[in-house]
Amino acid sequence: MSQSILSALVLLPVLGAIFVAVTPRENVRTQKLLAMGMSLVVFGLSLWMLSEFQPISGMQFEVNRSWLPQYGISYHIGVDGLSLWLIILSTFLTPISLLASWNSIDQRVREFNVFMLLLEAGMIGVFVSLDLFLFYIFWEAMLIPMYFLIGIWGHERRIYAAVKFFLYTMAGSVLMLVAFLVLYKATGSTTFDLAALARSPVPPALQMWLFAAFAIAFAIKVPMFPFHTWLPDAHVEAPTAGSVILAGVLLKMGGYGFLRLAIPLFPDAALRFAPWIGVLAVIGIIYGALVSLVQPDMKKLVAYSSVSHLGFVMLGIASFTTTGVVGAVYQMLNHGISTGALFLCVGMLYDRRHTRLISEFGGLKIVMPWFSALFLGICLSSMAVPGFNGFVGEFLILVGSWSFSWRLVALASLGVILAAAYLLWMVQRVLYGEVTNEKNRSLPDLSLREWVVLGPLLALALFMGVASPLFTRSIEPSVNALVLKVESQQRATAAAAARAAEAKPAAAAPSQPVEEGK
Amino acid sequence: MTSLDLRPLLPALMVAITGLVVLLAHAFTPKDRRAPSAGLSLTGLLAASGATLLIMQGNGRGASVGGSYAADDFALFLHLVILGLGAVLVLLSPSYLRATRADRGEYYALLLFSIVGMLGLVSCRELISLFVALEIMSVSLYAMAGLDRERQESQESALKYFITGAFSSGFFLYGVALLYGVSGSTSLGQIALRLPGASDSAQALALVGTALLLVGFGFKVASVPFHMWAPDVYQGAPTTVTAFMAAGVKAAAFGAFLRVLLSGLPSLASHWQPALAALALLTMIVGNLGALAQSNLKRMLAYSSVAHAGYLMTALTASPGPGVEAILFYLVAYGAVNLGAFGILSSLARDNREPLSLGDVAGLGARRPAVAAALTVFLISLTGVPVSAGFVGKFYLFRAAVDAGYLSLALAGVLMSVVSAYYYLRVVVFMYMREAEDAPAWAPVSLWAGAGLVVAVAAILGLGVYPGPVLEAARLAAQALR
Repeated sequence: MSQSILSALVLLPVLGAIFVAVTPRENVRTQKLLAMGMSLVVFGLSLWMLSEFQPISGMQFEVNRSWLPQYGISYHIGVDGLSLWLIILSTFLTPISLLASWNSIDQRVREFNVFMLLLEAGMIGVFVSLDLFLFYIFWEAMLIPMYFLIGIWGHERRIYAAVKFFLYTMAGSVLMLVAFLVLYKATGSTTFDLAALARSPVPPALQMWLFAAFAIAFAIKVPMFPFHTWLPDAHVEAPTAGSVILAGVLLKMGGYGFLRLAIPLFPDAALRFAPWIGVLAVIGIIYGALVSLVQPDMKKLVAYSSVSHLGFVMLGIASFTTTGVVGAVYQMLNHGISTGALFLCVGMLYDRRHTRLISEFGGLKIVMPWFSALFLGICLSSMAVPGFNGFVGEFLILVGSWSFSWRLVALASLGVILAAAYLLWMVQRVLYGEVTNEKNRSLPDLSLREWVVLGPLLALALFMGVASPLFTRSIEPSVNALVLKVESQQRATAAAAARAAEAKPAAAAPSQPVEEGK
Repeated sequence: MTSLDLRPLLPALMVAITGLVVLLAHAFTPKDRRAPSAGLSLTGLLAASGATLLIMQGNGRGASVGGSYAADDFALFLHLVILGLGAVLVLLSPSYLRATRADRGEYYALLLFSIVGMLGLVSCRELISLFVALEIMSVSLYAMAGLDRERQESQESALKYFITGAFSSGFFLYGVALLYGVSGSTSLGQIALRLPGASDSAQALALVGTALLLVGFGFKVASVPFHMWAPDVYQGAPTTVTAFMAAGVKAAAFGAFLRVLLSGLPSLASHWQPALAALALLTMIVGNLGALAQSNLKRMLAYSSVAHAGYLMTALTASPGPGVEAILFYLVAYGAVNLGAFGILSSLARDNREPLSLGDVAGLGARRPAVAAALTVFLISLTGVPVSAGFVGKFYLFRAAVDAGYLSLALAGVLMSVVSAYYYLRVVVFMYMREAEDAPAWAPVSLWAGAGLVVAVAAILGLGVYPGPVLEAARLAAQALR
């Protein structure tokens, strides 16, 4: 039974989508309930998986069936510490997004629910795939429902944003696809299985190219500066549910792709590129924060803050220390929760006022006290105040990256301060002061539905802030294994370089001293 | 010429006889009644598929007519593809012909004759018979392109197709003559045997002959720079005919292409591979950039068909090798997609009008969800995004190109696929994200056409999820060419 749990996680949403798709168009309520019911079943199932999960480094709940045996493609899925929480995050955010859109999506409800469920299947599929072909299928297939979510239910410039999102992501992905093919040929492999490919060595020069191709695909998804320009458009134009899933889960796929594919497959190249990734990450942190600071539109502000927050994740990954990478994985979860919640808050204001401009609001604390309290809490979590989840993640990343480069850490810390600045400034202008706009005077406070949407997220943000070991316990073994692999690779490469240098000291006339243990 | 075992010819003969029966039925039906042409054609095509399956099981496999007509795995695989495409097309045709008031018995007879030509094209191992098959196919299609007698565009299309087609036949025939002059035979097997031993000057002539054959085939599959006719002809011809031009002709012509190159001219592979690589690159780029600028859907699909000829040709560079099976698989995927995409346009036709512009399909997603969903599946498959047969197909095409060392072709191919996403998605944008302004109420999809579209969608999604059996069959078929 526990063998088929992952397949069930992927297939149940598809099944649900099919059910929803065949309901008559008018039965809006049935469609909503069906989609919600199925997403809750999936969430429950993922919690059961969590309870069965052992905090060890290997793959669990693994299934490996041949699919296209003559081409070495298999249906190979499994879960480890890197993917465990991201799967839970996906199954958790899906019902929340559905609930958040309960009333605000009133057109083509059936299609909306179908796409949300297909999206969920795609997300889970990406996180469980252990075969490159399978991974790519989910990775690309997921674009289609997201494209529709933005394009149909988005705001004014939705079509532009949807097409831009699709083309950007696809451009990155197809390069990765070619890299798969080259890798397959270069290693003389007979399989697309990830573990098998990671064991077969790739010549260092080729590694650089392949890593670059993978890195572009993932950097677009993260998004890392300078590949981030699709993000503000897509996030701002998407409907609330789309923004939540996009920020909460889809952006994580970039970081996850680095950890699951790019680094294990090309450890040498990953180490060589690490300083560059670190620099770009820090540029992203500062740049995203500065741009957030000047946004008049709340949704845009939150969107750019993602660029900044994801910079921290990439810095942690680039550090290649256990602490840094654990922090990165943890920060991916935090960002999913707090930024998802921020988008939900902005969505709730938008539902009431049909504007997202900060200047339209002010003094909401008086008319919507509960909303203001929760909104403030979520902002605190996003700006990494101690006691909230964000603090744990960013702290681990900064500590872990110290040995990597203290200069970058110092610059990145600026980002923490800037985050406090842009978020608190927004909070101040939106929540505090006098009610300046008469239209705001009669706004209703949180409804029960909105409580159910926001409450769990804030609770989780607090819980993850104080009980982080519960989470990192299951992340750490897998991260450790990854870091060890990179380190051993590093030593092997250094040793090989040293041998090569010793072998021909005469040829390279005034021989340089051997580079110390790099 | 000792034996005359007609069993290998059985599928083609059955289709030909059905064609004659359809003509006769048409002639003997009273004027006020409608001849059961579509039903007869469908029966004939299904019977021929059954015969093909029987032959596949070893009953009459082999060569006939002095070894010039082969029923090997390669031919039989493509027989099934072509017959299947033909059957789906017959399902799509009646409602369109009624809507455009072009419902004439000749249509089905010509369709069946063109299928006879296609079956011959993938089976002939001798260049003269191959040429005859090519002409049977082409002449039938020239006539079909002009069937819509009231529409000037259709006339123009037929004439253009005929003139360029006849021109390309001339090239092809000249190539055949040169190869015959060098090797003293028109049999592919003999040519392959004698070419390696020929003198240098003879080799040079053989190269010229090969180049001329490539021109001839290039016209038929609409590869750049021999693609000029395609947009006009595709746009002008009746939509169902266009569908078959794109799907059927491509399958048959690429089949013949592969057989001639691999069975007849393997010794020149080092020459034709780079030439084809260059053509493939050009074809992909010109086709995709051309499609970007189109607002007419049929024209857009015409350029897209050019682009897809380019994708297919990338794998020719890896032939012999994994390219052959990749091409065979992609022909199935591409055929189904094209019938589907053109089929949607044709099945919505009403009162001599069909959706042709982007505005015509605006709002289709809300008003006709099933039709829009089907067209979306086809467009996604054309783009090459999973889960669809188009993705699996492209994956193998580009894998073959990478395997053969043509990394640049694979890169160009995938980047051009991104470009193509733009114009394919534009249709989706109009269907789902734009409101209809004054789009006419399109016809309801008839039962037959609906069945045809369901088959196409099922094939595309099915092959996208579980391509194993068809890939395996393609692999076996590819081995027959060695």
